[in-house]
Amino acid sequence: MNYRFRIPFAAALLAATIVACSDSTTEPVDTDAQTTTAILNDLAYKVILPTYVELDQKAQTLADAVAALQTGITDAKLEAARQAWRDARRPWEQSEGFLFGPVDTKGIDPSIDSWPVNKTDLDAVLASSATLTKEYIDGLEGTQKGFHTIEYLIFGTNATKPASAMTPREIEYLVAVTQSFKAATAQLRQSWEASGDNFAAQFANAGGTSTIYTSQRSALEDIVGGMAGICDEVANGKINDPLTLQDRTREESQFSNNSNADFQDNIRSVKNLYLGTYGANSGKGVSQLVAAKNSTLDARVRAEIDAAIAAIGAMQPSFGEAIFNNKASVTAAQAAVLKLQATFEGEVTATLLP
Amino acid sequence: MISRYSITAIALLGLALVAGCNGDSTTEPTPPSADDARSGGEMTIMNASSAAFSFPAPNLDGEAFNLHAEGDAAFEATFVTAPASVNAGLGPVYNNTSCISCHARDGRGRPPYAGENFSSMLFRISIPGTDSDGGPNPVPGFGGQLQNRSVFGIPAEGTISTTYIERQGTFADGQSYTLREPRYVVESSYRPTPAGMMISPRIAPPVVGLGLLEAVPESALLANADEADHDGDGISGRANYVWDVKEGKQAIGRFGWKANTPSLLQQAAAAYNNDMGITSTMFPLETCHGQPQCDTTSDDPEVDEQTLKAAAHYTATLAVPARRSLNNPQVQRGQVVFRAASCNRCHVETLQTGIAPNAPYLSNQTIHPYTDLLLHDMGEGLADNRPDYLANGREWRTQPLWGIGLTRIVNGHTFFLHDGRARDLMEAILWHGGEAEASRNYVQQLPRTDRDALIAFLESL
Repeated sequence: MNYRFRIPFAAALLAATIVACSDSTTEPVDTDAQTTTAILNDLAYKVILPTYVELDQKAQTLADAVAALQTGITDAKLEAARQAWRDARRPWEQSEGFLFGPVDTKGIDPSIDSWPVNKTDLDAVLASSATLTKEYIDGLEGTQKGFHTIEYLIFGTNATKPASAMTPREIEYLVAVTQSFKAATAQLRQSWEASGDNFAAQFANAGGTSTIYTSQRSALEDIVGGMAGICDEVANGKINDPLTLQDRTREESQFSNNSNADFQDNIRSVKNLYLGTYGANSGKGVSQLVAAKNSTLDARVRAEIDAAIAAIGAMQPSFGEAIFNNKASVTAAQAAVLKLQATFEGEVTATLLP
Repeated sequence: MISRYSITAIALLGLALVAGCNGDSTTEPTPPSADDARSGGEMTIMNASSAAFSFPAPNLDGEAFNLHAEGDAAFEATFVTAPASVNAGLGPVYNNTSCISCHARDGRGRPPYAGENFSSMLFRISIPGTDSDGGPNPVPGFGGQLQNRSVFGIPAEGTISTTYIERQGTFADGQSYTLREPRYVVESSYRPTPAGMMISPRIAPPVVGLGLLEAVPESALLANADEADHDGDGISGRANYVWDVKEGKQAIGRFGWKANTPSLLQQAAAAYNNDMGITSTMFPLETCHGQPQCDTTSDDPEVDEQTLKAAAHYTATLAVPARRSLNNPQVQRGQVVFRAASCNRCHVETLQTGIAPNAPYLSNQTIHPYTDLLLHDMGEGLADNRPDYLANGREWRTQPLWGIGLTRIVNGHTFFLHDGRARDLMEAILWHGGEAEASRNYVQQLPRTDRDALIAFLESL
């Protein structure tokens, strides 16, 4: 039932690895080591950390927008909260190309992006007499907090909830859950920052002073794997499940109807890593290494990234409707993302990680 | 959502050896061969990233690959309270909401950090005696496992508080070390626990290479067993025999910290049932069935046959990461030390799989799991004092060591042993007692350079 694109095995490049004599770890002699050092540094400090910083800032904006609902809800205030949710969603989706490190090892991801929403327990909590504080929400499962629970409460079903339908109890829950959410984004940001766990340095100094990435290769494997992995997730999970089951309840951001933006931002996460860019930041990305070995492949990857983003945008009027009424556009978007995934898993891997 | 990751493995490359490296070793390490790196035989992948445990084996056929992908999705599915349109059936009492939340990145769980609840570690419980199948005797009102979470409106069974006592020790060369000895106490139980209740902590183990371990013939396992210690080496591994639910009979146990599970299918079904409160045809009743805090409605199977099969197949078909640094003299020296300390008497380096029905990718593989899959008395220090089928309170199954050096990058920690008490590999070694006491003592006498070499070797696995 789960359609998977199977890549034929690339003929392995049986390049004999020359092993240097050393009294520490034996690493292949790597003429790209300096380039890789610069790339890993830029990815850590110009792409990944800024993405998490923006997520944390936007999480605060979301909490503020929700807090404003306490002093009298209006359609304008509710729309501001919804826009704040979309604005926070963007950096998160743009972080999904690098879901390694603390977001995973510190168990932060479930508090930010669990799916589906546990509506049964959420309704039970809302109906209960429990005092809804940040600490109370902190103790709940991920399926009762984070992006999708917040989304469910402020958008309602398919983004149609009027301000008049928002209950004081829901606002009480929203205030607490957005505070809990902000704490999770702060933890994630601090885990990469120098003032915190400084995972950025662990990543940037792979093969050097890093105690986690004992070789540059392992860091590159995480980046290339991360880019391929989010393509896989978008094509074979996020797009495929609602499409093949013809079921909108399988759509991840179904309440906000935000799938097109979600999927595009996921591929933009790939683009950020590949080019070494984020917002106004511009550094060295994986592209530098690929281009040095195969400029044709580099051009192809860039084109395939842009083609995938465009194809996702062409699922009109929106992904949630297109799976029923415009299937060709959905299938085309899926194929474009699969093509990019195959390029990363095939030629890019063979080129950078022989 | 944590993203699925399925990359097609590129073939493992043999490492060209360079002659003339001058290690100053006084012994003669065996020169490494390409085979030494291929821990999982043809199921090996060359990757040392945080995703090293998450690849499908490179030798799967199309059908096996597709079922692996389906199992991958099942392994990540987060369950919620019924009624729900997607992934319904969580609980009523449970330890976690998905497979992946315990086996993070298909890797190793850990004790909770300060302020966390138990997440990737759980506690088996029982009272003296056995159940009708010869297994642990469930605790009235609690069953065989302490579920520390619950859906809204149902009390969780309880939780556990952990305190550590620091124990000082010294290597022969004078360097000191500290081991932390855990003390576990049940807290906040929804009703009083009976006197004499036994508790056994269990960390979620990595799930790579399990299909290969399932494919090792029984005869090969039993060939390593020496229950009466006829050879007089102080090591007397023995097999556990446990209840096979599907076959309805006793069978050799292979999986779990006490080898109390006969197959990956039963392992998956039991985990769904005990850890997540998800019923199946194999285990159709909730773990809290008949307990006062649970409703008495009988659940439909909450996970269907196909999904259960896919989840089990996923754990059978994950690739094993290749070894690294085989040409490093320190690593080579470490392997000499590993053997000299007789670690390899139980952490058996090489096994052969047999013919796995309908699974050519698992069949006739030469693998290096560093386990004999047998039970050994590990001494009083590690004892949980809780029997599990034939395993007594001092016996544990030899843990595979393949991939152990990747724990830090995959899971961000280096907590080892059944309850994560060891904070690094050396601490794990120093906890070995019982049949492993001589090996532990050997390591304690080693000079620093050889101790470091031993760790470097383990890190290369």
